[in-house]
Amino acid sequence: MKRIPVILDGDPGHDDAIAWVLANASPMLDIKAVTSCCGNQTMEKTTYNALRICTLIGLNVPVAKGRVKPFLKPPMVAPNVHGQSGLDGPKLPEPAFDVVPEDAVTLMARIIEESDEPITLVPTGPLTNIAALFMAHPELKKKISHIYLMGGGIHHGNWAPAAEFNIQVDPEAAAYVFAAGVPITMAGLDVTEKAQIYPEEFEIIRGLGSKVATTVAEWFDFFFQYHKSLNGYKGAAVHDAVAIVAMTNPEIFEVKDMYVEVETDSEYCNGATIGDVHGVLGKKPNVHVLWNLDRDAFAKILIDAVRTYGEVSE
Amino acid sequence: MEKIPVFFDCDTGTDDAAAILIAGKMPEIEIVGLGAVAGNVGIEHTYPNTCRVAKLAGIDAPVYKGAEEPMFRPLVKAEYIHANDGLGGKADTISDIPVPEPPKTRAWDAIYNEAVKHNGELVVVAVGPMTDLGIALAKYKELPKLIKKVYIMGGSASFGNITPAAEFNIYVDPEAAKMLFESGIPIYMCGLDVTEKAYLTPEEMDEIGNIGTRATEFIADVCRSSLEFYLTRGYKGKFMHDSCPMLAVVHPEIFSGKMAGIAVETKGKITLGRTVSDYYTDRKFDFENAFVVTDVDREKFVELTLEYLKK
Repeated sequence: MKRIPVILDGDPGHDDAIAWVLANASPMLDIKAVTSCCGNQTMEKTTYNALRICTLIGLNVPVAKGRVKPFLKPPMVAPNVHGQSGLDGPKLPEPAFDVVPEDAVTLMARIIEESDEPITLVPTGPLTNIAALFMAHPELKKKISHIYLMGGGIHHGNWAPAAEFNIQVDPEAAAYVFAAGVPITMAGLDVTEKAQIYPEEFEIIRGLGSKVATTVAEWFDFFFQYHKSLNGYKGAAVHDAVAIVAMTNPEIFEVKDMYVEVETDSEYCNGATIGDVHGVLGKKPNVHVLWNLDRDAFAKILIDAVRTYGEVSE
Repeated sequence: MEKIPVFFDCDTGTDDAAAILIAGKMPEIEIVGLGAVAGNVGIEHTYPNTCRVAKLAGIDAPVYKGAEEPMFRPLVKAEYIHANDGLGGKADTISDIPVPEPPKTRAWDAIYNEAVKHNGELVVVAVGPMTDLGIALAKYKELPKLIKKVYIMGGSASFGNITPAAEFNIYVDPEAAKMLFESGIPIYMCGLDVTEKAYLTPEEMDEIGNIGTRATEFIADVCRSSLEFYLTRGYKGKFMHDSCPMLAVVHPEIFSGKMAGIAVETKGKITLGRTVSDYYTDRKFDFENAFVVTDVDREKFVELTLEYLKK
């Protein structure tokens, strides 16, 4: 089977971490690099977390550090969701290797340039690095086959009533990426809030017994604390993992194609991903919006992915 | 039982017309006045349309002229749905009904006068742009205490219709809507979340037409005129937006929703006129200013519509 070459760009973050566990488990994906961005926590912390995750899951690829802040706005972090470290909960191994000397944009550009085949980007944090890449290297856009991103929400936001966190952190970057003409599949809140893993499934994962499995289970334990504090969650919505599964298992999703634009200049809506659901603008759709998913199938895919890291029988 | 005093402000308007015909046959309420505001079409149409449809509905209350344009913006119309005459090209079929000279009192003054007269019991049903209420709020600072509740057709807790982000009535006069939502008057909001579920199918329109009165034949014709717009877009029928808040005054049990915070976007580059809502979101506003309806028992909606139109 021909594997899809991908670059993972994220701000780990519990759900980024679980997304990367999934990506690394998939035989369909050929992970070329990991890049960090600031979002859930500061750049220093997300980069350190990225290295610890890669060490834990045995993902030996170049890791590069991204832009330290959004284009125009000050950084915005989410310690109430992910803790002070950005990845609180289980103790993680110290990094077995360091970041590469190149910054994220330079590394991405070099990999894309040198690759014989188009690269798929999977940003699960703010789109700062991706926008910088497209601005600095417009000629490389045609070598991006697809962007699978976690961000936005056509129906509603989360961090603000109108906006989802990743997009709200850097709306200008998001607006640029959505308008870039590169095919986008958007795993937004419309679907990611339905991608909940339930506490009984944390136990199934924990029961697998490997170091990765117990760590993932404990990430869920921590991440679920936040969801429990909100109304209407039966489990932990593992947003970022949806971007990976959208790529590996498109069959479990309902998708709507539409024109999507990002608001950057408003009183209440900065960072809102405005989708033309009714097609009133008559513009060509630029985004495949994930609209619904088979939750049970999603949970099974996730558990099976963790299983590939080995099982420890009693 | 005492009737609920209702002031009905509209921009008639195909679905406004249906709501007026229903209102005229609701024994539980008394229409104490109507305002005709510019919206779907200009006031040169909404005023005579409202007068004639009210007459068809058997409503004797005066029709007041409302605002000719939004508070701070030029008018945007919806002729693509309602046709140039506002009634789907069927206005001439009722042009024999005489239109009185408009009263000197304008809609915003009438709203205030009725509010005072009814001593805190007045209900306003506003199914066009909120301009008349906005001007009333600008002129009468004690108005919020005098109105029991405003039932509106407007906005959406998710996406829009005139633009991807905004619903038509709010988009046309976002500042007026902002004033209303910030006024402290209890608001019952029927936005697109619910009104797009309150549709009439072609068969149901035929059933209305077959009732056989002049009013029902007229409204069936009016509804059919924009049916194609809906059917070609994959919907099962015409959205009867404005009937929702009117029916809700007496039949809240067929609607469901919850209290939520609504802020009206008046500056957005692509989100102008959006009713930004925390209805579905983790992060909430620090206020709740509207009961936001998102669902309706459509069968009951159709049943009630037919029941009233048969009267």
